[in-house]
Amino acid sequence: MQAFKLRSLALACAFAICVAAVAPAAASAQTPSFTVGWSVYAGWNPYFYMQKSGILKKWADKYGIAIKVQRFDYAASLDAFVAKNIDACTMTNMEAFDLPAAAGVDSTAIIVGDYSNGNDAVLVRNGLNFATLPTKPVMLVQKTVSEYLLERGMVLNGQQANLSKLKLINTSDSDIVAAFLNNKSNQAVVTWKPLVSQIVADKSVTSIFDSSKIPGEILDLLVVRTEVLNRPDGQKFAKAITGAWYETVAQLAAGQANAIKYSAAASGDSIESYKEQLKTTALFVTPKSAADFTDGPDLQQKMDLVRKFCFAHGLLGEGTKSADDVAILYPNGTIQGRKDRVRLRYNSAYMLAAEQGKL
Amino acid sequence: MAILANPFDIQARPNRLLTQALSCLLFVVCIGLYMQTSASRHRENPEDRVVPNQHQLLAGIKSAVLEPAEEDDSIAPDNASTWERLHHSMIWKDTASSGRRFFIALFLLVPAVILALHIGLFPWFGAGFLRFVLFFDKIVALSLLPILFIVFGIEEWSKIALIVIGVAPTMILDVTQMVKSVPQEQIVKAFTLDANNFDVAYRVVFRQVMPQVINSLRLNLKPMMLFLFAGEMIAASDGLAYRIAIMRRHMGMDIILPYVLWVAFLLFLIDLSLRVINRRMHPWFQA
Repeated sequence: MQAFKLRSLALACAFAICVAAVAPAAASAQTPSFTVGWSVYAGWNPYFYMQKSGILKKWADKYGIAIKVQRFDYAASLDAFVAKNIDACTMTNMEAFDLPAAAGVDSTAIIVGDYSNGNDAVLVRNGLNFATLPTKPVMLVQKTVSEYLLERGMVLNGQQANLSKLKLINTSDSDIVAAFLNNKSNQAVVTWKPLVSQIVADKSVTSIFDSSKIPGEILDLLVVRTEVLNRPDGQKFAKAITGAWYETVAQLAAGQANAIKYSAAASGDSIESYKEQLKTTALFVTPKSAADFTDGPDLQQKMDLVRKFCFAHGLLGEGTKSADDVAILYPNGTIQGRKDRVRLRYNSAYMLAAEQGKL
Repeated sequence: MAILANPFDIQARPNRLLTQALSCLLFVVCIGLYMQTSASRHRENPEDRVVPNQHQLLAGIKSAVLEPAEEDDSIAPDNASTWERLHHSMIWKDTASSGRRFFIALFLLVPAVILALHIGLFPWFGAGFLRFVLFFDKIVALSLLPILFIVFGIEEWSKIALIVIGVAPTMILDVTQMVKSVPQEQIVKAFTLDANNFDVAYRVVFRQVMPQVINSLRLNLKPMMLFLFAGEMIAASDGLAYRIAIMRRHMGMDIILPYVLWVAFLLFLIDLSLRVINRRMHPWFQA
């Protein structure tokens, strides 16, 4: 009798473990609810205002869906997007290519929000230049746009042959300012705003290169998983978020006090600091400017530089033998890479619809 | 007698086979769950990187063990032997640089233990140090990092200092307690046998607490590794945690997972060797 009791107890335990293991997979019923992940950056902070001001809710209600906006750390937001925990995420063109797209998550950029026009910079002490840089350790967050910017700076200054001599120190962005400023023996650093502003406040530091010299190469996008976009309610979501975005940006560009105040508050910046960041952020304020850029020929050349960089640095993973294995589709139908492996799509349809007032 | 005897019987003696099987059970369950998750994710997306399957893992291990790190200059010639390629590989280089930091920090804990002996035994030292260490132990070492950067630069020493500052106070307090729990009678007895102060400290007390010190060190291995990882993730140009931080940037779980297991294995080896040394050196000690 006792043995029987125990056996049923053991069975019950085993059953409970199985249920616990299977349950998460079985859950997740279909509800027209979408989550957008964003992270702190001048060009993305408006998402915070978009939600606070009720603009997002207005547009979501119009299409009968629910949209949630959630702030992440940048790396965590990308992880969540690749793991399919969120439907859309803000990211740069480089990360869109080397993270979700290279990991086989078919992704579509529906909003080209802005490009970095000086937000990222190479800063040095003691009058170093690109010719003397290879001898000194450079602090930066490796494998990000910082490293891309540094390489582009080297190439544009005729130092391509010395690229392999660069000595890089991978430094977390949360500590890079303190680590660089507190020790005069650190000679060079590559980072982004507002960190750049904090560093150049030190008079002995000068900027020798910034992203305004490579306009349109570091793009800030809103990327949606293509499978979400292919669902009818996913299209509603894309329309709603695009509509909400351009209404938000229009207010921001018009200098509406609340828009700037909340966008600055999103990253804990002062209003002055945020305005200064906006100056070096080339926002595509109107949907027309964004759509024109996305449809234009420049984008393909710029993406070509980015994808070659990603491949050369192994950012596409060990198994990827060529940059062509992660192909990019452009609005005019051009495919960069192998036709059967399209992973990243630029879609200007929603921006065009916003331009024509069809949202 | 049923196979499933009462699991809450203190005097139960499961037979050898059953013991082995039970101890393997959770490993098998974990591996099974992993493989199931991996398979289901790969059904959905054949290129999934979040939970790599065995082929991706094998390829990852192979490139970690045989290929040089991307930033490395000393690339082995094409016709190099496997040993030579291993010697120039990513994992070798990272293990060497992390290992150096780890063992330097470990070595720096020796003076901390000696200091603890003095604090516990000599009232003058106790008066001078104990309160400060007690206070310092409560400082969260990671929050001191900007200061460490100023004092030690961003190179090796700031990482080693982080480990030592993080672990040493705890060790000192722990060892001080051990020293204090040595019976006073023994110390008095040693004095009556004409021992001087240092005889008592090093030949009576220190020898006695030594096995406990080693056990305390074993428990502190993981915090040490944790601090080392934190340091390497914040600023480094090589090391095991550096590689993991870099790989995380493009979700190279095929490299990260083998690295994590490798670190666990190394820690296990260090722990095992400390345990064996302890048993050999102090067979009289019953832990």
